Amino acid sequence: MDKIRVEICVGTTCHVLGGGSLHDLEDHLPSRLRDQVEVVGAPCLKACENGNYGDAPFVKINGEIMAAATIDKIIARLNRL
Amino acid sequence: MKRIHVEIERSSRSKRGEEVCGDDFKVKRLAGEDRYIAVLSDGLGSGFKASLLSTMTTAMALRFVSDNMEIVRSSEIIMDTLPVCAVRKISYSTFTIADTYVNGHTRMVEMDNPPYIHLRGAEEVTHEKQTLASAKHPERKLLVSSFDALPGDRLVFFSDGVTQAGLGHPGHKFGWRREGCLEYLQAQLRREPDVSALELAARVVAEACRQDPAKTAADDTTCVVIYFREPRNLLLLTGPPFKPDKDAEFARYLADFDGKKVICGGTTANIVSRELDRQVKVQLPKVRERLPAAAEMAGVDLVTEGILTLTETARVLEAPVPPLDTPGPALRLFELLHNSDVIEFLVGTRINEAHQDPSLPIDLEIRRNIVKRIVRCLEERYLKECEIRYI
Repeated sequence: MDKIRVEICVGTTCHVLGGGSLHDLEDHLPSRLRDQVEVVGAPCLKACENGNYGDAPFVKINGEIMAAATIDKIIARLNRL
Repeated sequence: MKRIHVEIERSSRSKRGEEVCGDDFKVKRLAGEDRYIAVLSDGLGSGFKASLLSTMTTAMALRFVSDNMEIVRSSEIIMDTLPVCAVRKISYSTFTIADTYVNGHTRMVEMDNPPYIHLRGAEEVTHEKQTLASAKHPERKLLVSSFDALPGDRLVFFSDGVTQAGLGHPGHKFGWRREGCLEYLQAQLRREPDVSALELAARVVAEACRQDPAKTAADDTTCVVIYFREPRNLLLLTGPPFKPDKDAEFARYLADFDGKKVICGGTTANIVSRELDRQVKVQLPKVRERLPAAAEMAGVDLVTEGILTLTETARVLEAPVPPLDTPGPALRLFELLHNSDVIEFLVGTRINEAHQDPSLPIDLEIRRNIVKRIVRCLEERYLKECEIRYI
């Protein structure tokens, strides 16, 4: 089964609004999720420019953008997948 | 003639026991003329008196040569202006002036310093010298010569603290002499053909001191190295072009550039990645840092986030030394800039509106301003040659 791909935006706006704290995501993943998830950085997801998406920091999970991402929110989403 | 980067460095040690060095060195860059003038002077005696003489000499010589005053007249004025020593009843200092253009054309004027050494690789290049003297001071001979330096050439000159090192001690009847210094320089250059000007000057002074049994400087000892280098080029891309139809040209410019390449900005990186079909791989750090993570792209030396990294890098450039807690991306950018000679900034001027959102907790500098701040520091403090282009 393909790994779930989590892309963390490391652009300016995302970083300023707390994106840096998302880098530890891997360490916070419960053990059963660890093998199923691939965490990478993305240079800019271009989500902040478009007012429709909501607030930074942004994360892309299997191609779908999540606004106002936090580690808990991401894990909750991953659990549902 | 090809443009050369002129690196001018000096190393100096005061005579043992003296608080002030009696040798003085000054260098000035005349930007409008692409010209450098460097002057080394050795003042009579040692300590404060000598320092006064040599400092006055270098200041005057620098001024006169910049103004292209005739050299015999210049040296007359210097000799007449220097204060007379109450003890020795004479006023005296030496000087070596190197007047060099960035195309390599160089004129040397020497008065009573050991003769300079011109090295091509590890081989010495000698030149004929013209002897001039003023009617007022016929015994003070001026030696004038000129040549065209090629990329890779070095010019080395020094005070007699170098040539007379070890004088009077066993094994050094006449001191280290110019020959001893030349042999040492040649050995260093054979071993390390790309040694920097600063490193080489420091080694000569250290080796001179080693000639003395006490291993310290018996006299004020100064060595100047001028290294005519191939310039190290760097291109920094930051910001998306104002008009998207310029994206291809923007990326192409980076691809075709000859030198180191840096991209600062996520959107900028995405544009280049798309246009050149090269992947951007972000390297999430193991330890969380103050700045967003840097990334990799084939053919690019460094990819970072934009404004925050540039602002941090400006701070590092302005600090006396890079602070210990400098985050990785800023430190790497600082090092790349520091080790380059000619730096071009290609700045895309499209404003990122998200950066202007008043709800952002910090002030984000406008890209153009932070780049200008960096360039000012690079030019004034680090003597780099910079250019900013907007697109």
